[in-house]
Amino acid sequence: MFWQVTFSLLEGFGMTLTIFALTLLFAIPLGLVIAFGSMSRLGIVVHRFAGGAGEAPHSIAIRPISSLCKFIVWVIRGTPLMLQLIVIYYGPGLLGFSLLPRFTAVLVAFVINYACYFSEIFRGGIESIPHGQYEAGQVLGMTRTQTFFHVVLLQVIKRIVPPMGNEIITLVKDTSLARVIAVYELIWNAQAYIKMHGLLWPLLYTAVFYLLFSGLLSLLFGYIERKLDYFKA
Amino acid sequence: MSILEVKDLYKNFGKTQVLRGISFSMQQGEVLSVIGSSGSGKTTLLRCLTSLERADGGSITVGGKVVFDPAAGVNLSKEEARANQLQFGMVFQQFNLFPQYSVLDNVTLASRLHAKERADYRENKKEILAQIEEHAKELLDRVGLLQKAENYPCQLSGGQQQRVAIARALAMKPAILCFDEPTSALDPELTGEVLSVIRSLAAQKTTMIIVTHEMGFARDVSDTVLFMEEGRVAVKGAPDYVFGEGATPRMRSFIGAVTNYG
Ligand SMILES: Nc1ncnc2c1ncn2[C@@H]1O[C@H](COP(=O)(O)OP(=O)(O)OP(=O)(O)O)[C@@H](O)[C@H]1O
Ligand SMILES: [Mg+2]
Repeated sequence: MFWQVTFSLLEGFGMTLTIFALTLLFAIPLGLVIAFGSMSRLGIVVHRFAGGAGEAPHSIAIRPISSLCKFIVWVIRGTPLMLQLIVIYYGPGLLGFSLLPRFTAVLVAFVINYACYFSEIFRGGIESIPHGQYEAGQVLGMTRTQTFFHVVLLQVIKRIVPPMGNEIITLVKDTSLARVIAVYELIWNAQAYIKMHGLLWPLLYTAVFYLLFSGLLSLLFGYIERKLDYFKA
Repeated sequence: MSILEVKDLYKNFGKTQVLRGISFSMQQGEVLSVIGSSGSGKTTLLRCLTSLERADGGSITVGGKVVFDPAAGVNLSKEEARANQLQFGMVFQQFNLFPQYSVLDNVTLASRLHAKERADYRENKKEILAQIEEHAKELLDRVGLLQKAENYPCQLSGGQQQRVAIARALAMKPAILCFDEPTSALDPELTGEVLSVIRSLAAQKTTMIIVTHEMGFARDVSDTVLFMEEGRVAVKGAPDYVFGEGATPRMRSFIGAVTNYG
């Protein structure tokens, strides 16, 4: 029985890993796009000069791309991932469209959700780099692109490794939400033993898989942090 | 012919008029110190010269070429703007070294990136990089930090970091080297080493514009001192004149305040 359970759980864990890997693969680039979108200064500035004495002049900036990105991030971070999963899976049906395949729906929901969280980490990292670094690049005749890739990027990476590590380890555990739309990941497979055989221990056994995997990731992120320890930024 | 000619330079930030018609010129090899109370526009002047900020009016002529004059419709192409950028070196108050690179790489980085644009880069890559490194090492030797070439900025004192920043700026062979209060962020016991590097550059006839609050230093290193007051040039001339008979009452009280404070 033990080996049968282990084998079945491994199968579920395969799905867990697939969701995990594909989410990272798509959410990181999408997160970058959203981060740059919310930092975009594209738009117009409406100057309004003070009317009364002593009133400070102020201007209002209208930046549609930035506002849109920030709105999306607000909605996604402000609602539970489980709800997003349900909306993306059942939503099209309510509107008379055909449903996405279950696995696709899971991926779409996870990628959007994690891209939004990542985007905030990326944005925080990029905005935390002192302006003097860009100016130093500029006065040395480097282009903006050169300054970004050769000066700023590694400093950003150093700053975002710890929060990204946290978020990625959360993702490992969040994959278990996929079962709400019946995608057979690790927990689902373990729960099947409760229903069919009245066995609880396979469910507890899943913890071993999660712990091993997140432990491995912690080691990896610790290693990267140490690698970047040689400079202070 | 003067290396730099600034005429009637204006700059506003919103409603604040920061530069209100600055004019001066300087010769090759000249050392110009800019002094003035806080908020008088010294940093803004340097930033307008070094293209970190765009002035609103007036003109800037470098080596006979007009690089800024909106009224005359002067508009530099991207390449020209970049070439002009390299005419000016800048040493910041906060050093702004690149923390992830060694001292040597800080000094060579920009030159290495520029070298990639050379037509013969692929053919002569090795020699070009070797030349850049050799030049960087000469400069580090000049600022007395050759033995720190492999260290990272976080391993250096503030004074050492600033000397690296000077070497880094010199690596681009700027026509005019600008300093914005290069010792203001340093502990008093570390200012001397930076000032003596600047002194040695002056002795080698490096053209420099130095914004500083170190009055004694300004007085003995400069060929010309410029005292700014509310975005204008209040007094300009040889140090003995500016600190002597040329000094306005406001300048006297300013110098008194600064020296008492220091
Ligand atoms: N980016 C900016 N936006 C708005 N106002 C600015 C900006 N930069 C400078 N100022 C204002 O311009 C004025 C002159 O500033 P500047 O930094 O040039 O003075 P400074 O002579 O260098 O002073 P300090 O000796 O304190 O360095 C100040 O009133 C300052 O508040
Ligand atoms: Mg200043």
